[in-house]
Amino acid sequence: MESESPTETKKGKSKTPKKEKESILKQKSPAEFFAENKNIAGFDNPGKCLYTTVRELVENALDSAEAISELPVIEITIEEIVKSKFNSMIGLVDRERVDEELYDDYETAKAREKRLEKEARAQEIQAKNAALGKKVKEHAVSKSSKGRGEASFYRVTCRDNGRGMPHDDIPNMFGRVLSGTKYGLKQTRGKFGLGAKMALIWSKMSTGLPIEISSSMRGQNYLSFCRLDIDIHRNIPHIHLHEKRDNKDKWHGAEIQVVIEGNWTTYRSKILHYMRQMAVITPYAQFLFKFVSDAPDKNVTIKFARRTDVMPPVPVETKHHPSSVDILLIKRLIAETSKQNLMQFLQHEFVNIGKPLAERLIGEMGPEFSPKMAVKSLTDQQIVRIHQLFRQAKFDDPSGDCLSPAGEYNLRLGIIKELHPDMVATYSGSAQVFEGHPFIVEAGVSVGGKDVKQGLNIFRFANRIPLLFEQGGDVVTRTALKRISWNNYKINQTQDKIGVFVSIVSTKIPFKGTGKEYIGDDISEIASAVKSAIQQCCIQLKSKIVKKMQAREQQERKRNLSKYIPDASNAVYNVLQEMAKSHASKKKRYEEGDADILQKVSDHLITKETLYEKLTQHVEKVDYEMALEYATQTGVREEPREDIYLQSLDGKGNFFDFHSPIFVFRLFL
Amino acid sequence: MAEKKKRRRADSDSNSASQPFKNLLKSDAQILQILKSVTSSSSSSTSKPLTLADLALSSTCREVSDLSLSSVQSTIESLVLQLTHQILSGQGFSFIVPSRSSSNQLYVPELDRIVLKDKSTVRPFSHISSVRKTTITAKILSLVHQLCLKNIHVTKRDLFYTDVKLFQDQVQSDAVLDDVSCMLGCTRSSLNVIAAEKGVVVGRLIFSDNGDMIDCTKMGMGGKAIPPNIDRVGDMQSDALFILLVEKDAAYIRLAEDRFYNRFPCIIVTAKGQPDVATRLFLKKMKMELKLPVLALVDSDPYGLKILSVYGCGSKNMSYDSANLTTPDIKWLGIRPSDLDKYKIPEQCRLPMTEQDIKTGKDLLEEDFVKKNPGWVEELNLMVKTKQKAEIQALSSFGFQYLSEVYLPLKLQQQDWL
Repeated sequence: MESESPTETKKGKSKTPKKEKESILKQKSPAEFFAENKNIAGFDNPGKCLYTTVRELVENALDSAEAISELPVIEITIEEIVKSKFNSMIGLVDRERVDEELYDDYETAKAREKRLEKEARAQEIQAKNAALGKKVKEHAVSKSSKGRGEASFYRVTCRDNGRGMPHDDIPNMFGRVLSGTKYGLKQTRGKFGLGAKMALIWSKMSTGLPIEISSSMRGQNYLSFCRLDIDIHRNIPHIHLHEKRDNKDKWHGAEIQVVIEGNWTTYRSKILHYMRQMAVITPYAQFLFKFVSDAPDKNVTIKFARRTDVMPPVPVETKHHPSSVDILLIKRLIAETSKQNLMQFLQHEFVNIGKPLAERLIGEMGPEFSPKMAVKSLTDQQIVRIHQLFRQAKFDDPSGDCLSPAGEYNLRLGIIKELHPDMVATYSGSAQVFEGHPFIVEAGVSVGGKDVKQGLNIFRFANRIPLLFEQGGDVVTRTALKRISWNNYKINQTQDKIGVFVSIVSTKIPFKGTGKEYIGDDISEIASAVKSAIQQCCIQLKSKIVKKMQAREQQERKRNLSKYIPDASNAVYNVLQEMAKSHASKKKRYEEGDADILQKVSDHLITKETLYEKLTQHVEKVDYEMALEYATQTGVREEPREDIYLQSLDGKGNFFDFHSPIFVFRLFL
Repeated sequence: MAEKKKRRRADSDSNSASQPFKNLLKSDAQILQILKSVTSSSSSSTSKPLTLADLALSSTCREVSDLSLSSVQSTIESLVLQLTHQILSGQGFSFIVPSRSSSNQLYVPELDRIVLKDKSTVRPFSHISSVRKTTITAKILSLVHQLCLKNIHVTKRDLFYTDVKLFQDQVQSDAVLDDVSCMLGCTRSSLNVIAAEKGVVVGRLIFSDNGDMIDCTKMGMGGKAIPPNIDRVGDMQSDALFILLVEKDAAYIRLAEDRFYNRFPCIIVTAKGQPDVATRLFLKKMKMELKLPVLALVDSDPYGLKILSVYGCGSKNMSYDSANLTTPDIKWLGIRPSDLDKYKIPEQCRLPMTEQDIKTGKDLLEEDFVKKNPGWVEELNLMVKTKQKAEIQALSSFGFQYLSEVYLPLKLQQQDWL
């Protein structure tokens, strides 16, 4: 909040330059704070805002579906709204420009002259090219750069099949910043209760339109509909409409619709990347992404089909680890606990403190502590003492049971599905600990594939969200670039198409910077876990690569050997020829067998071709022998089989089953 | 008057501040006296160098010797005849090449140089991993055979350009050339293949190069390039008291321009970095014929010491010929790690050692030729501990001529070498 005061005083200065000293103490609501510092939550510019809005809605939808162990089905639609349509939406009449010179994009006479001249020149060149029969390039129509006022608006709709929201909670869930259901110590995608609210604040700032929510919970016979916006100054919801409607299809889930300013052109690829990577890490979800605009050629529809119905377990909420708490947190736990005495408090509010350890800890705290003392009566000093002891004492590491990693199977599926690599290896590390928070690193490394560029392609995931920005500083990028010697694994860092996937899950991901965009490289625990996970994958790949190279060597051996026959026979023959000359002129004497050879060389009985043929025969023989040996060594080996997932059809039970001892063949009619 | 005195004192003060330790210097005559006594004692102590045979190692170690052109030719010819027999009998062909890998090297403390052990590898034509090298070896053999017939010298570069397509890279043809001389049991110079001139010499030396008398005091500032064919060098004469071996070109130029060899009679040699074969042969020849002490001026970093060791004990790459290439008993004059503090070399002229430097330094500490000299071990330990290095040029912070006017004379006066 420090950044707050300077802008405040600055504003005061510009507005009332004379009354400089008079500064008024003001209160700021959280909503106001985030509205002014929306970049903290990833709402930097219209394009990024569109991206972040999509992202927050998708992640909420996934969390919601996973919370009830439902295979997620998510539809996200971005609808472009042109200015005139937008104006009519809000009931604003389109006005013609009267005073042209008033506008920023007004073209002065001089500028027009220049532009016309340029266009004329371009046309001339084009004409010339056409005359010369060159292929005329579609001359890029000089796009008039958008003026300041030319904003684009988008309606973003996200529909899921998740838990839905209780009717009465909806206003608070959307209209109150920093209120949420995900505050516990639990691995979730969202954390701060900010995402959807920020989208709402942004829509209020850029379009002034409210957010629309429809939701229904399982077994609920009605559908909640709510249209609301947020009172930024008071951080409370401002409800336009909140009613129950019929739920004919027994649908459960939520549909959220918000109209915001954005920029599809510049963030198109980021949004698509995000969806694609999300599909990699959540192959059990089905995504339907649509972009709709008036220009049909710009429209995009992508369906990311479900590839498995194996879902990672729902992460469970866990208790705090003693080495991760601070004084404030201890106080809060004391205030909230239902336990009476210190002994019970220690045992029940923290993980890894059993009864014997609790006794020892209390004994160590000092004489003024006792197991039976009332926990609510602890003084501030005593709490500090407890905190100090927690930091110094040794506790068992928290277990990773509360975490829900994507799983090697899912990661592998995702990689295969999205990249179609030649080879892939995955590895899932065991749980490790950073500052009392358990984390698990999973990694996948792939080689080859379609649409993969040469060199390293890094895909980062934190708590199963793709991270797209700030790649340079991220621990994964740095590790892959600097700390892995790819050469050792027979992988060429610049030539091969390498995909590196690293997914980190934790009850608390130590994001760097403001937005949830990257994990810093300064945490040695995470850095070493990432490194070893990638290395494990590489080791698996190496044996595959070596095998491949051997196989290739088998195929190419004959060619590679034969390539050198001319050079070798030439070299030998040249010396022989010289020797034959001096033998003939009797300059030198040679032994019986040697003299015989030299005589044959002189008589052209042994020529370059003789050597060539002999060597060729030899190479063929060797090649045959080695191929035979290779075949007997390797034998007929099969690749390990992989499970495949066949999407079930929406059959109505109209089928025959053919049973066999090992399979069932189902024929749908 | 008093003021004048003061100023003069201030002058001399500032002078000694900018060139510390100048006041410690004795007169040149006194220093010369010291040097003369050293030289006379060292030249009397040199005895005939030991050979592998003296140590009964000739069976387990490999060494090459200078062979005449005709015997090189006949060795190649008998080898080629063997190959021909093999090929004609349908077995392909293969070479047996002495291994020059580091596991096949041995440091012999009695000889104070690295020698090659007797391990050999078979290089068959019909194997995918060796087919290329085998072909190159055959090619080089046939090229050397031609050189023998025509009795001419060519450079390594010439050799490479005879078949760029096959050799691909000069490194490959150079490496095979060493293999070939190893295989034939002769020195590389006997193959009539030479490297381009790299080393230079200046100072109190007169010798004949291919019949022409060269006076190295009259070779201008640059000095005389060391001739690549050592067999054409002879008739060495000198009135020098020592040989100064300099690592770098820059320091060499400084000393040559200041005509350091006229103030203290000496011969100054540099190979501009890693020494080539010609410079090493030349140094060896000077040492053997003139019986002068050799003092080395190298950078205070692991590579400086490494270069020193190449002159002294030989390189692993050419250990098969270490008998001809190494010069025993080279003294480390400077710049030694302990000099950095001793001569108060300012912090800004010292460089922090990189991780690679430190690793090289630690590796050197494991080498036998370093271990045998406790003084060197101490210095190297100091370097690794302080993690600082300095080049010879660091002395220029006291003025460009500090090296020739203060540092070297003082070192010589104190006989400060290891």
